[in-house]
Amino acid sequence: MSTPIGTHAMLPQANHDEMAEQLFARDLKIWLGSEVEPLQGQLADAIDPGPQHNDRDAEAFARLHEEPAFLGWAGMFRAAQELMWDDIYRSVHRQKDALNAKAAQAADIGSVTIDPDFTAPAYLVDGHVHMMPGGYALNGDDVTQGAVMDRGGAVYMLGRNGGFMNDGRGATVAGHVFAEYPDLKPLKILELGCGTGASIVPVARAFPDAETYGIDVGSSVLRYAHARASHLGVPVHFVQGDAEHAPFEDESFDLVFSAALFHETSETAIPQILAESYRLLKPGGVVVHLEVPARYDQLNLWAQIRAQVERDYNNEPAWQVATSADYDALMRSAGFADPKIGYQDACFAPAPGQGGFGPESKGVFRSWFIASGRK
Amino acid sequence: MDKTPYTAGRREITGLSVLEDQALAMIAALASELAVARERIDTLERMLEDKGAIDRTLIDSYAPDAAAAAERDGIRQRMIAKIFRPLRDATRRAIQEKTA
Repeated sequence: MSTPIGTHAMLPQANHDEMAEQLFARDLKIWLGSEVEPLQGQLADAIDPGPQHNDRDAEAFARLHEEPAFLGWAGMFRAAQELMWDDIYRSVHRQKDALNAKAAQAADIGSVTIDPDFTAPAYLVDGHVHMMPGGYALNGDDVTQGAVMDRGGAVYMLGRNGGFMNDGRGATVAGHVFAEYPDLKPLKILELGCGTGASIVPVARAFPDAETYGIDVGSSVLRYAHARASHLGVPVHFVQGDAEHAPFEDESFDLVFSAALFHETSETAIPQILAESYRLLKPGGVVVHLEVPARYDQLNLWAQIRAQVERDYNNEPAWQVATSADYDALMRSAGFADPKIGYQDACFAPAPGQGGFGPESKGVFRSWFIASGRK
Repeated sequence: MDKTPYTAGRREITGLSVLEDQALAMIAALASELAVARERIDTLERMLEDKGAIDRTLIDSYAPDAAAAAERDGIRQRMIAKIFRPLRDATRRAIQEKTA
């Protein structure tokens, strides 16, 4: 973060002290992860009810809550996250006039469409994902909530996903299309749950002939996303909408994708979003849903507990559900006859002719889980 | 400064008392504040050293004038608001729960 590789005009800046605060939050998280978490794993093994227990992971999670050492770690884990948001919120709002002025100077490309009657899904309103104050759905006539989300995302990802551009997931979606659907020449693309547009920008750049759309739930985040993409010279149409009920006609798109969306939704939303993807695609169109590479049943005990920590204490409500789902069955139920389920190598420079898709994960930030298919 | 929006869906960590939760958060913030201060001092000392401008013995005898004192009041008050934020946030959550 101190030497960012690639940045963009809308990214909120950090002055001397703000940078020190953000680096502190990042390094506290790294320290907790590298120095304390392995010990928590050993503690989990020590209280493990054993593989014969019929509810092993939940029981171990409950037993850990009787251990002060676990409680101290869990409390500080969340305190570090909340501190990070507080740092970033103050920094962004200090410079909000400059950010809004910068947004107003963006090239006149793409668009933002706000729906004044829009209602965000309950799972995003009742629990603010990642503990971000105000949540994704916060409506506002300025760009500040998007700026908080973007800067927070860059700090939160600890520089592992493309630094301040945070674009590794989008690039990997494009890479998957090149690898597995080389004949696809999309002319209309939609991202479900586009956030600040970090993923849609590399996809739009990979397919410059396409008209590109992104939907998300909060007007401030969408306004920021539009300014961000426009300053990067990438025309994207940002529309306020819900991935379960996207505001587009049937068979509107050649490529529909999401990038790490499912684990921030709900058990009932996931099949509905898959069905919606099918509805939105033209015949022959392709859907690509990218998710975190972890598969819950393949995780060791501590990693399963860590997933429950994310679910309960970092407001990623569907983390366990999204990493446990049978995507082959769900994709088939949604109408995709021959889904591809596997792992795409993380890439930052997607290109025609590439490969990189296979049945094995190479690990976090080296691979992404993919469920894709053709209508 | 705009008030930070409410964070919906914050669950209690079973077994961690509310006051312990707040204390951990305050310690994290304090440590952050200390890190920032240390980094700023480090920046200053390096810049001054580079310019050959520093006489460190004068630091101990420095007395701020009125304007500097007022500015330092602001720095200190911002630090207090940051460190003790969990008390404010917990109260706001309690109010939210009582009035929801």
